[in-house]
Order: sequence, then structure tokens, then C-alpha cells
Amino acid sequence: MFWKYMLKRVFYGIFIYIILIFVFSALFNTVMEQTLRGQIDEEIRAELMALDNVGSQQIQNFIEMRRAEKFALYKLDKPIFERIVWRTWSTLTLNLGKSSSIRSAAGDRNVWAIVSEKIPRTLILFSSAMLIDIIIGIWLGLKKAQKAGGVLDKSTSVGTMVVFGMPSWWLGMILIMFFAYTIKVFPSGGLHATPPPEGIAFFLDALYHLALPVMTLVVIGFWGRAFLTRNIVLGVLQDDYIMAARARGIPERKVLYGHTMRTSAPPIVTMSLLALLASVSGNIVFEGIFNWPGMGNLFWFALQQNDVPVLMGNLAITTGLYICGLILLDLVYGLLDPRIKVGAKA
Amino acid sequence: MRIGEMKSSFDEFWGEFRKVKSGMIGLVFLGLFLMILFFEPLLLPFEQANSRWKDITYWEDNPASAAPQWTNFFSSKKSAVSMPLEVEKKEVKNAGTIRIIEETFLYDYQYDAAPSDIIFRASGQANPTVIISVERPDGKKIDLLRKPLEVTQGKDLRIAIDKTSLNEAYNFLKSMDAATGLSKQTLKTTDILFSKVEDSIVFTPQALKGEYKIMVSLILQKETDVIESTEMKVAGRVHGILGTDNSKRDIWSGVIAGVKWAMLIGLLTALVSVSIGVIYGVISAYVGGWKDSLMQRIFEIFISVPMLPVLIVMSAVFKPNIWMIILIMCVFYWVGPVKTVRSMGLQIKEETYIEASRALGASNTRIIFKHMVPLLIPYAFASMALNVPGAIVVEATLSLLGLGDPNIVTWGQILQDAHNGGAMLSGMWWWVVPPGMAIAFMGMTFAFVGFAMDKILNPKLKTR
Repeated sequence: MFWKYMLKRVFYGIFIYIILIFVFSALFNTVMEQTLRGQIDEEIRAELMALDNVGSQQIQNFIEMRRAEKFALYKLDKPIFERIVWRTWSTLTLNLGKSSSIRSAAGDRNVWAIVSEKIPRTLILFSSAMLIDIIIGIWLGLKKAQKAGGVLDKSTSVGTMVVFGMPSWWLGMILIMFFAYTIKVFPSGGLHATPPPEGIAFFLDALYHLALPVMTLVVIGFWGRAFLTRNIVLGVLQDDYIMAARARGIPERKVLYGHTMRTSAPPIVTMSLLALLASVSGNIVFEGIFNWPGMGNLFWFALQQNDVPVLMGNLAITTGLYICGLILLDLVYGLLDPRIKVGAKA
Repeated sequence: MRIGEMKSSFDEFWGEFRKVKSGMIGLVFLGLFLMILFFEPLLLPFEQANSRWKDITYWEDNPASAAPQWTNFFSSKKSAVSMPLEVEKKEVKNAGTIRIIEETFLYDYQYDAAPSDIIFRASGQANPTVIISVERPDGKKIDLLRKPLEVTQGKDLRIAIDKTSLNEAYNFLKSMDAATGLSKQTLKTTDILFSKVEDSIVFTPQALKGEYKIMVSLILQKETDVIESTEMKVAGRVHGILGTDNSKRDIWSGVIAGVKWAMLIGLLTALVSVSIGVIYGVISAYVGGWKDSLMQRIFEIFISVPMLPVLIVMSAVFKPNIWMIILIMCVFYWVGPVKTVRSMGLQIKEETYIEASRALGASNTRIIFKHMVPLLIPYAFASMALNVPGAIVVEATLSLLGLGDPNIVTWGQILQDAHNGGAMLSGMWWWVVPPGMAIAFMGMTFAFVGFAMDKILNPKLKTR
């Protein structure tokens, strides 16, 4: 039963991904093609420079011939619908094309190479922040639920509301100003010192650079997580079987960590994974502020360079990762919670 | 639901809401923001801040990168503040066809750091010869300017002493034998004007406190020449309530002008998207069957989109204005309440009175909008309040990337300028902290209200 549910979910995810890529392709078709046309003209001009001693008629012929060839290569001579389908297909087959100006560290202009270089860095930053965040959040949430309405609960709830509308990148700016420029204990950004040290120092240096952005994310993040955990746990604590357990004289600690946690785990896990997903796709500006060379920084860079193929490729991969995450979430949820009748209609 | 019922349920809600302290604090803050909105013209020191935020000529009389005025209070070395100067006396002398307008401005200088500039402005239609000189408290007089200049309609006469009179100030130093071995490039006119004449004037200038008289004479040659209004302003080292940015804009004006845009963006996005989401959820729950499944599948497509990257790429490609940005945000935000509303709708649907009204032949539209939607209104308000901060942050994020509407002033745009202008590096906290605080504060306001409503409406959250 679970396998059937799983397969269905995966196929549905793929279906949604195809639809989204089709929509993106249609939306960005005109802009992509403008860029492409400009690129083709430039390439032909470069080829012309290499030629010499040819008459003007020949030049004209050459330009037209090369242009027709390249147009055929990029399907620019085909009707618009076919072009959109073709672009959808090449994106789906991870054939993301070449960037117009951005290069990878190795000098590659292949969009796929550029993006795949950045993904691990983004994952390192956000998953380490999220890990600390979740530990603090769940611990605090439990403490809050245990004495709901108490001093700790009330004061930390106010904290939750205070940071509710605070942009993480703004706090980042403030912390950089303070820690990197005023008291100079952390670097202002980047992945490594220049030049990067070698051996064990390389990792220590990376950790040192990781510290401030992770700290910022944790300081903003754990409040909301604690509040949600508190609400979930509090909801479970009001269930009848908890009352029954208490009435049977089971120690409070055991009620909390044994009974309550078991029921609360699925929504808490979901919430945490969902937050991780949202942060990976959502912290574009954050990476920009900390000059952290991940996916978000690439977005920022591509925007400034007006590099549409990189934008489109980055978007396609981000969306892909996001949907994979959502599928994974559903599967984990199905595994964790026996109450969900997997495969049955919701 | 009748009006009377609605009123009584509202009264009941209000009775509970009043007991939640954070909710009431939120309402007070909200009232504060509404007051700012309402009294905006009175609060703006620069009336045209809204329309001319990007116009550098509007701000040129302010000092650049100046800290807020009140920082003087905490600093042992007091800096000159920005202020207009008073006219002590004004005389018009006639000598044949020539008229001479003579004005004396008084500046009571009681600071340790000299102002960054002194600016004289006049408007009208004339070709006057302008003579400006200053008489210092130590009795020394410096001629600052003697030049024929032109004033026309639409182009004011603007003289910035700091830039135009460096030569004169240098010559003054030389005549006092205090300029030995100095290069003119390293000097600043206002530092010389407002310091004691000593050999150390350049490196460790000692402020010469007291009353300065700045005299301006305008010699008008022709009968037709008109000078309408004259003013003299000091551009200080500290400025206004929140200081200035590196293009001399008054940050306080920007932050105040940004209130209405933040409110508009947050409230409109929340209102439209939550309304759509609630109605969508209710309809989905009510119709059931394959229509419900289809609606849920459409909903799933929308939640599978990572919002911010898509929003950013779309804004980068299409360069939308503020209304388009709000519209695009609504496209992504409406999915928020759908799931909860659908589950609530499924419960309401089973109530007997729904069945009764269906048996009486009420139309589906009537049942949905008359019987089901009103029950969800409290929930809708709570999620609207909680959606407001998100929308404001998203707009600020777009603006920070330079994708905002260039015709308005938003907090995000001020932060973008701060980021590009290297405010963090140069420690100009007054440029970074206030706009972000404003965003966070507005978010906090709506969070207070929203959480309080949530607490009342969600019985599971009640503390034991």
C-alpha cells in the first residue's frame, strides 16, 4: 500500500514539475530569445573578424548563412509553441544551455556546471543553521508547553512576535556592521579567507566564515519554531489518552517525552523540513548580504548581470529541489504517522 | 447570519480580545501607524519627499552622510546641527539706477565641530553682483565672494560657501601667517571659518564659539531686476531626526513616507489573497467530488512553486510597478489559508442548518456566501493579520535587489541604497537601522494582533 502511495506521489510531483517548467518557459520565452538573438549576432561578428579578404556580397551571404544555421540550431525558425515545448524539454533533460556572462570556478559557461557548484554551499549554510535552530526550537517549545501560560512561555511568545516580521537579511546587515566592522571578530562575508589556507585550517576557516550567517539565521529562526512546537504539543496534551495516562499515575516526564512526543513528532518533523525547504529557496538576499557564494548569491549575481539562462536554470533547479522536498515530506509523514491511511483518499 | 447576530458575535469576540494584552498593544501600535499615515504632511520635514525622493537637487542643501542630531547628546564633541539662519536686518539702498540689497544673517555657533557647509539661496529674475563676507566673533572679517551671477525663473541662485570660497579662506589663513606649508586640497573652508586662528588650525582646529555675522549684498544694475526671496542655511555635521544618507536625503522623511506603502502592500496583498483563498477553500469543500479533487490539484501546483525565486525572476524580467508586484504576490499568497479553510468547510457543510437551507431550495452561491463564509470571517481576519508582515518583507526583499517600483519610497529601497552605499562598512547605522526597524515594528504590530486573534479562535491553544 505504501509503495503504491509513494509511486503515485512521485509521479504527481514529476507531473507538477513539468507543468511548472512549461509555464516558466512560456513566460521567459521572449526574453530568453532576445538574449539569444543578441548572442548569435555577436558570435557571427566574431566569426567575421576571423575572415579576411572577402567582398561585401560574400559577407552578407555569410552572415545570412550562419544566422540561418544558428537559428535552426536554437529552433528560432520554428513556430512559437514548438519553441516553448522545445525549451521545456531541454530544461527537463537538464540541458540548461550556456550562461551569457557568468562562469563557474573552472571557467565553464555551462549553466548546469555553474549551479551544481553552488548547491552544496547553500545546503551547508542552511542545513547547519536549521539543525541548531530545530534543536533549540523544539527544546524551548517543549519547555513552553510544559508550563503554558507561565513566565517563560509568555516572554518567549513575545519574542516570537517581535521577530515575526523581521527580515533575516536586515538582521544580517546589522550583525555584519557590528561584528565585522565595529568590533571586528567575524569576517564580513564570503566562504574563505583570501587566499584560502590549506589542510585542517581550511575547514576551520570555512567554519569561521560560516559562524556569523548561521548565528543570524538561528537568532531569527528558533522563536517561531518554538512557538509552533508549543502549540502542537499543547494540542496533543489536551487529548483524552494523555489525561488517561496521567490518571494512571504515569510520571509527567514520561507522559511528555513518551506519549506526547510520539504523537507530536510528525507535524514537528513536517514543519522543520518545510522550513528548511522554504529557506533554501527563499534566502536569496541573505546570501547576497553575506556574500556567501551559493544558489542565492548566484541569483543575485545573475540579476545584476542580466544573465537570463542562469536565472532560468537556477530557477528550474530550485523548483526541482523544492518539489523533491515536498514529495519527501509527504513520504516521511506517511511513514511516521500510522494514523494516515496511506493510499486511501484523504 | 443576520446583522444582529454578527454584532453580538463581534461583541463576544471583542470581549475576549480585550483580555489579551499583546493584542491590545498591537492595536495601539496599529493606531500609531494610522496616525503617522494621517498626519504624514505634518511629520515630513521635506514636504516633497514622496515625489522627489530620487531628485538629487531637492536634497542638495543637506549635509551628506550626517548622523542624527540627537547623537550630539551622547558625544563629548558637539557637532553643528543643520538649521536655517535668521535675518538680523535687511536694507535696500538706491544709488541712481543701481539698487543694493543688503542682508545680515546671524549664526550663533556653540559647537565643537564646524558645519559642513553654508548655503545661500535667492530666487527671482536678475543679474546681481553678489558679495558675501563673514564677521567672526574675534572681530576678523573674511570676504568670501564677489562675483556677478545670474538668477532666472526656474533656476535659483545657489551659493555653497564651502566649495566656492576655499580660495578666500586660504588667503585669509595666509594673511594670518597660519598657512605655512599647507596645500589647499587638504583644507575645508568651514573648518577655517569657525576655528581659532592658530598654527594648529588645520590638524587640530579649536572651535571659535560665538556670534557670526554673515553679510550678503546683492547689487542690481537694472530696473527690471527682481530678487524675490533669500535664505541662508547651515548644513550641519549632524542632521534631523534620523540623519542623512550619502546623497543628502533626509532618512526620517523616507521612513515616514514609507509607512503608507508598507501598509498598502501588506494590507492589500493580505486582503485580496486571503479572501480568494477562503472562498476557494469553501467552494472546494462544498462542491466535493471530482470538482474538489481538481481544485485541490490546482492548489497543489501553486504550493509547489518556490515563491521568492519565481517572484524575483519575474520582477527582473518584467520590471513591474508596485501594483503588479502586489498582484504577483497575491498569485502566490492565496494558497495560504486554503487547506485549513477546506477542512473547516467540510465540518460546517455537515451542519443541519446547511442541509435545511438546501432542502428549502437555497442556491449554492447563497449557501456558500450567506451561511459558510461568515463563519470563517474571524479566521480570515486572523490569517490576514499574520500575512501582512510577509508581504512587506517580500516587497522589501525585491527592493533590496533593486527590483522595486522606482517611483515610490519604500523601506526596502532605503535599505538597498544603504547596502549599495556601503553604509555597513562606514558604520552609518542610522541609514540601516531605522528602515529595518520600521519593517520589523510593523511586522510585530500585525503579529501581536494576529496571534491574539488566533489564540481566541483556536480552542486547542488555550492554556490549561
